Amino acid sequence: MPAFDRWPRLIGRHAVLLLTAAVMLLPLVWALGSSFKPSTTIFDMSPVPLPASLENYRTVFSAFPLWRMLLNTFVTAAGVTALQVLVAVPAAYALTQLTFRGQRFALGLVAVALLVPVQSLIIPAFLMISHLGWRDTYPGLIVPQLSGCALAVVLLRNHLRALPPNLFHAAALDGATAGETLRFVVLPLLRPALSAVVLLVFINTWNEYLWPTLAAPSPKHTTIQAGLALFLNQEGPEYGPLLAASILATVPVVAVYLVASRRIADAFLHAGPG
Amino acid sequence: MTADTEVASRAAGRRAGGRGTAPHRPGGPAPRARSWLYLGPATISLAVWVYGPLVFTGVLSFLHWNLVSDHPSWAGLGNYARLVDQPEFPHAAWHTLLYAVGILPFATVVPMALAIMLWKKPGAVSTGYRALLFLPVVLAPVANAIAWQFILDPLQGAANGLLQDAGFGPRNWLGDPATALPVIVLITAAKVVGLNLLLFGAALASLDRRTLEAARLEGATEWETTRFVVVPQLRRTAVLLGLLSLVVVWPWIFTNVAVLTQGGPNGATDNVYYRLYTYAFTFFDAGTASAAAIVISLAFAVLLGAYAVLGRRRADPGPGSGPAGSGPGPAGARPERGRSHASV
Repeated sequence: MPAFDRWPRLIGRHAVLLLTAAVMLLPLVWALGSSFKPSTTIFDMSPVPLPASLENYRTVFSAFPLWRMLLNTFVTAAGVTALQVLVAVPAAYALTQLTFRGQRFALGLVAVALLVPVQSLIIPAFLMISHLGWRDTYPGLIVPQLSGCALAVVLLRNHLRALPPNLFHAAALDGATAGETLRFVVLPLLRPALSAVVLLVFINTWNEYLWPTLAAPSPKHTTIQAGLALFLNQEGPEYGPLLAASILATVPVVAVYLVASRRIADAFLHAGPG
Repeated sequence: MTADTEVASRAAGRRAGGRGTAPHRPGGPAPRARSWLYLGPATISLAVWVYGPLVFTGVLSFLHWNLVSDHPSWAGLGNYARLVDQPEFPHAAWHTLLYAVGILPFATVVPMALAIMLWKKPGAVSTGYRALLFLPVVLAPVANAIAWQFILDPLQGAANGLLQDAGFGPRNWLGDPATALPVIVLITAAKVVGLNLLLFGAALASLDRRTLEAARLEGATEWETTRFVVVPQLRRTAVLLGLLSLVVVWPWIFTNVAVLTQGGPNGATDNVYYRLYTYAFTFFDAGTASAAAIVISLAFAVLLGAYAVLGRRRADPGPGSGPAGSGPGPAGARPERGRSHASV
C-alpha cells in the first residue's frame, strides 16, 4: 500500500476510536469539570471550570454523611470480597483437585446459581434480613451478597484446572494432606488469579445499587451508590453537590483501575465467556 | 515446600513461592467425606442466599401478601393471572424486548468493529485505547446516571445547549416517551461496548493472522479481508456475546431507569425488572412481584436452554476458547463456556 494512501485511513481510525472514547467517557469528564463550577455558572458550556470553586464539595460534605457512606461502601465491598474469597477458594479446590461422589452435582449447583437473576432473590433476602434485624447494618449489606460467590468459585476453578496435575500428585506422594496442599501448593500458585477475583468482586460490590437501597435505606448506613440516589430524591436535581458526590463515588474505582487496569481487564475477561 | 513439588512446579515453569515448608505427615490425600467440608461454606451460602430464596419466591408467587401482615392468603395462580390481565406487565415485557433489540448492536457489531480495528494495529496505542474504552465498565453506575441527567437537563443541559447552537429546538430527552428509552439504551451501551470490546479482543487474539496475509496476497482489499476473512471467524463469538449481554445488562439498565426515569414517562422506560421492583417495594405486593420473578427466571432458563441445545448440536470449539495467554492463568479447557457471566 503506498504511503500517501495510509494517512486518511490512519486519521479515520483514530477519529473513530477517539470519538467513541469521547462519547463513552463524556459524562465522567463533564461531571468532573462541572463539579468545580460554582452554582451560578454550573450550566456554562465551558468544559474548564474557571474560576474553580470547591463550593459543591463543601456543600455535599455538610449536607450529607458522605465520608460515612464512602466508609460503608468500602467496608461492604471489602467484607463481601473477603467472604466470597473465603468461601470460594476451598470450594474451587475441592471441585478441581479432589474427586468425590456428587462432584458433578456440586458443580451444577454452582453453575446454575450463576444464572439465577438477582431480581428473583431480593424479596426473600429482604425478608430474611428484616427478620434478623439486619436492616441498616453491615451484616445486612454484606452477608446476602454471598449469593454472588458462584462467580468467584467458577473463576478460581478455571484457573486451578489449568495447573499441572503433577503438582498435586507430588504433594500427595509426599504425604501432604488436602489442607496442606491447599495452603502450601495451591494458594501460592493461585495468587494472580485470586487478586483478579478480588478486584472484580470489590468493584462489582462497590458499584452495587439495588441491594444497598433495600438493605440500608437510611443515609448514615447506606453505601455511596444508594446514597447518591437518596440525595437525588431528597434534594432534587441540586446538580453542583450531586456531581461532586458522584465524582467522589467514582474516584476510588477509577484509581484502582488506573493502578491495575491490566489485571482488572483480565478478571473481566475470565468472567466473560470462554 | 517439599522437593518433589518444587521440581514439579519448576517443570511447570511457575514460581510456587517458597513460603514455609509443609510439615511431612503420614497419611494420604483427604478422605472423600472431607471434600464436602471444603465445599460446605460455598454450598451453604448458595443454599441460603440463592436456592432457598428462589424456592421461597416460588412459594410467594402463589400467595397474596403485603410483606407485613401475619396472614398471607392462598392465591393459587391468581398472581400469574394478574400479570397477564393487567396491561402493565405485558407492556413492560414488550419494552424489555425493545431494550434487548436496542442493546444488541452494542453487544455485537459495534464492539466487534472496534475490536477488529484495534487488533489490526497491535501496539501501545491500541492497548491505550482498549484501557480507555473499558473504563465505563467499572464506573459507578449511579454517578454515571447523574452525570447524564445533568447533561440532558431539559432546561439548561449541555446537550440542549449544543443543539440550540446548531439551530435545533431543545428536547426533554428523558421526559419524552419517544426519546427516553433510546437514551437509556445509549447510556447503558457504553458499558456493554466496553466489556464486549475486551471479549472480542480475546477471541481475535486466538485468530490466525496468517489468514489475513493470505487474503492480502490474493489481492483482497482491506475491507474485503475484514468482511470475508475476519468477520466470519467471529460469528460464533458474536452470537455468544449477544446472548451473554442480554444476561448481564439488566442490572445496569435497572440502575439507569431507577435513577433517571423511574419507568416513566408514561411507562416508556419500564421493563420487567423495574416492574418487579415496583410491585414489591412500591406496592408491597409480594405475590405479584414473585410471580413476575418466576416468569423472568423461566424466560431466562428457556433462552439459555435453547442456546445450550443449539450449541451442543455443533460441537466445535467455542469462540474465545483461547485468549492466548492474556490472562493470569492459562485459558484452557473451560466447560462453563456460555454459562459463566460477568456481573457488574
